[in-house]
Order: sequence, then structure tokens, then C-alpha cells
Amino acid sequence: MISVSHLTKRYRAFTAVDEISFEVGQGEVVGFLGPNGAGKTTTMRMLAGYLVPTGGEARVAGYDVRTESLEVRRRIGYLPETIPLYPEMRVDEYLRHRARLKRVPSRRLSQMVAEVKERCGLLAMGKEVIGRLSRGYRQRVGLADALVHDPDLLLLDEPTLGLDPEQNKQVRDLIQSLADRHTILMCTHILPEVEQTCQRVVIIKGGKIIAADTPEQLRNRLGGGNRIRAEIRGPAAEIERALNQLPHVERSAIRTLHANWVECRLDVSHEVDLRTNLYELSVSRGWPLRELHLFSRSLEEVYLRLTGDRVSRPGVEKQP
Amino acid sequence: MRVLLTLLRRELRAYFLTPVGYVVITLFLVLMGLSFTMLIRVLTQGPSMAGLTQAVYGESLFFWIAMLMTVPVTTMRLFAEEARMGTLETLLTAPVRYPVVVLAKFLAAWLFFLLVWLPSLLYPWLLYQMSPDSGVLDVGSLAAVGLGIAMLGSLFIAIGLLASVLTRNQATAAMITLTVLAVLLFYGFTPYWTQHPVLQQVARASSVLMHMLDFSRGMVDSRAFVFYLSGTGLMLFAAVQVLESRRWRG
Repeated sequence: MISVSHLTKRYRAFTAVDEISFEVGQGEVVGFLGPNGAGKTTTMRMLAGYLVPTGGEARVAGYDVRTESLEVRRRIGYLPETIPLYPEMRVDEYLRHRARLKRVPSRRLSQMVAEVKERCGLLAMGKEVIGRLSRGYRQRVGLADALVHDPDLLLLDEPTLGLDPEQNKQVRDLIQSLADRHTILMCTHILPEVEQTCQRVVIIKGGKIIAADTPEQLRNRLGGGNRIRAEIRGPAAEIERALNQLPHVERSAIRTLHANWVECRLDVSHEVDLRTNLYELSVSRGWPLRELHLFSRSLEEVYLRLTGDRVSRPGVEKQP
Repeated sequence: MRVLLTLLRRELRAYFLTPVGYVVITLFLVLMGLSFTMLIRVLTQGPSMAGLTQAVYGESLFFWIAMLMTVPVTTMRLFAEEARMGTLETLLTAPVRYPVVVLAKFLAAWLFFLLVWLPSLLYPWLLYQMSPDSGVLDVGSLAAVGLGIAMLGSLFIAIGLLASVLTRNQATAAMITLTVLAVLLFYGFTPYWTQHPVLQQVARASSVLMHMLDFSRGMVDSRAFVFYLSGTGLMLFAAVQVLESRRWRG
């Protein structure tokens, strides 16, 4: 559905997207991940025909975004990050207007608009003026607009940005329900969203793709490893020395609790279970052990390690 | 064609769903009302030899002020507002051709302009009805004025549209338009200053002031049409080029 090779976008001296290549197959739901300013929006805009690439090639449904932009635009439903809508129009009016622009045949117009309103939970909102809608409903109107001509490909730029948890869940469920009918490429930096909705993840940073795989594979291949939390009673300094001698320990941290109990946290770089080693350590040294936990690394940690991005909170990307 | 009509409909409706349309209408009514009152005051001093259309249009200062005020307010929102709100992105990623978008916006603004201006053709007629001996009313020159306003409006609106493409700030777009239109109007006085025959011919052929005076006398000159239509075309073409170039510059 999408085939991108060596795609590049330069704004004067600044290279926003640097020779990226990736594919999205028919029916896939792919998460496009990266810190702010990584080039996600620029890539989306090139795929949607709003920007022309400086170099490389991108095809959507077999059409070149550069030379066959109109054909590409017929087949996509694009929801920009800012969810631009005309505030003076009513929901029905807007959706009908957009459907006509996207060349939905007149005889199917009412049916398509009604259908998309139902899917997006807008049935009761048809007469509302868009400017007075809440953020959650605006998001749904934006999604309904992206869907109204039943496009093959949905390009969603941060579709859950700025929603409260309840709305967030609703929009996520909606996107999930779209997955069986549409191919979806979705920008986001909210990781639970990706783990739940996306079959594949493309991570971009500084305009370059640094990883592309399924969430599980990414965890295993790049993230690999796990984290252990234990509570041991004994001399803190000795415990720390002993911990650092264990194999594959990437980082250890200890914290003294009351009564000589020490909380130990271990970051393990490989997919090995060090819990037995810790038990043996406790037995051989005669240090009592009262807690032992193994956590697998979350995609979030993988992502943070890959991007070196410590802050992963939603924010507004700089518009070029 | 359907896309053009769809866009045209939205643009035209926007004038009546947002305050801007009413601002233009108010501006227009106040200024033309003033003009009308002044004219009546002059006419009470005695009958005028000139045609009534000349008095209301062309020679009237208020006519030009109204023209220069209403056009920038009409056109400033066309692209600037969409660029500011981000709706330009959804608009231009729909399967629509850029020239169609520009043409639809131009036609909407132009139709709105005509809607506001054409009823003012009743002014000279009204005067004539009230006092048949106050001057000469010629139906032909009334029609010519209508055509003249349509032509003048088409060029002015195309200029305003181009200004609106150039910026995402509506006030800036209005200021650029007002400045360009004012320069164009003042340039229209050139034939009064120069004696040089060639220069005078050129200046006369490209003077919006002279054109309007001609129209108000009932003179319809094809050279004027060529001037306005090619000028409009040029502005709209430039607007499409600017929009297209944005896709490259980002």
C-alpha cells in the first residue's frame, strides 16, 4: 500500500527527512514513532501530497506521490495533527462538503455520511456547529472526514493527542475497528497505543529510521533483557559488589530500606533469568531474601533507549 | 466542475456564516449612503448637466473609498484564514486541483462583491424617479457601469486573493491589498500629469480611474476588458504558482 524508498525532504539547510525507506502492506496497521521534530509529520505530509519530496520516491497504492498526486489523494484519508475543521459549519454540512470534494457520488452521499457518523459516534451531533464541539468530538469529526470516502489508506497524525483517558480509549477502539477495512499508518508517541493497535512499528529519529519491526520483535531484538527487583538483608556495599559480578548486568541500583534491608534493581541486558542467581547468592552469603520480581522491558523502554529521548510526553511538533 | 461548485458553495456560505460578510455590507452601505446624501445635497443647488451615473460612480470620491475598503475585507480571508487554521492542509490533500481551488475562491469573492455592489445601480434610478429633472439617466450607461464594476471588481479581487495567498495573517493580507489598490488608483491620475502622447496613451489604457469614468459615461471599450481580464488571469495564475511552490518549500 505504501512503498517509500530513500525519501528525503530538506528545508533549505535543514534535512527533516533523510533518505528513509519503508513499506506498509495492504491491511497493515503501522505505528510511526519518534520524538518531536523527528520528521513524522513531514513524512505524512509527503505521503498525503501536501509536500513534494526533495529526493527519493514514495508510492501509495502504486501511484507516485510526486507525479500522480491526485490519484494518491483520492485513495487516502488524512487527518493532520491539528484536526483542522471549519468552525462555522455544522457537522453534517462539513461531512457532506468533504464527501463531495472527495468525489463521493451524489446518490451515495447521504448513505456514506450516515455510515461514517455512526462509526465515529456522531449520530446525535449532525446539527452541532463545529466551533462549539469539545476536543473529543472534533477529533471524531476529523476521523469521520478522513473516512468519509472509504479510502484504502488512512494517514493519522497523532489521532489521540490531547484527549482525556476516556476519549482516548474511545478513539483507540475506533481505530482498532477500522483496522479490518483499511490500511493505517499512524503517527504517535504514546506507546501503549502502539502496543495495542499496531502490528508493526517504524521508529524515526532525526529524520532517519532507526528501527522497524513488530512490537514484540523490537522488544526482543533491541530491547532484549529485563529488569529485576529484589529485597535482600545484608551489608549494602557488599551486596552492590556482588550484584555487579552477576552476568549481563547492565546497571544496578540499590537503596537501603529500614533494618538493613536493601532494595536492589537490576537492568539485565539479555533475555536471561537472573532470579536463580540471586537466590543462590542469598543462600551462599546467608543474606535473607524476601522479595524477587522479574519485569520484562516495556516497548516504552525500548523506545527510550533507541531514541535517547527521556521525555516522551505529548507536545506540539514544530510546524515547518 | 462538481468540485468547483462544492468549493464555491462553501466559500460563498462562509461570507454569511461569519461576521466578515456583514462587515463588508455595512462598510459599503455607510459609504455609499454618504455618497448618495452628498449627491442629493449638490443636486438641491440646481440641476446637473452631467449624467447621474457619472455623479454616483467614477467622479464620486466615496465610490472609490468604498471600493478600496470593501475589496480587502472581502478577500483577506480567502487563503490566509485557511492557512492560519490549518484547513488549507485538509483542503489541499483532498483530491482537488490547485487551479480549481483558486478559481472557486475567486468566483466566490467576486460573486459576493457583485451581490453587494450591483443593487447600488438602483441609486441613480431612484434619484431619477424622485426628481426627473435633476439630471440625465441613461439606461445604457447604467448597464455600462454595472459591467465596469464587475470588471474593476474582478481585477481588485484577484489582487486581494494573491495577497491572501502570500500571508497567513488576514490583517496583513488586507493591508497589502489596500496599498496595491490605492497605488493603482493614484496611478490612474497619470493621464492628467503627462503631455507626452505615447505615455498618455499607455497611462490612459491602464488607468482604472479613466476606465470607470468612461463606463459611467456609457462608454464600453474593449481595451478595458482586455486589461481587466488579463490582469485578473495574471493574478490568479500567480496565486496558483505561489500555492504550488509552498509544496516544495514546506
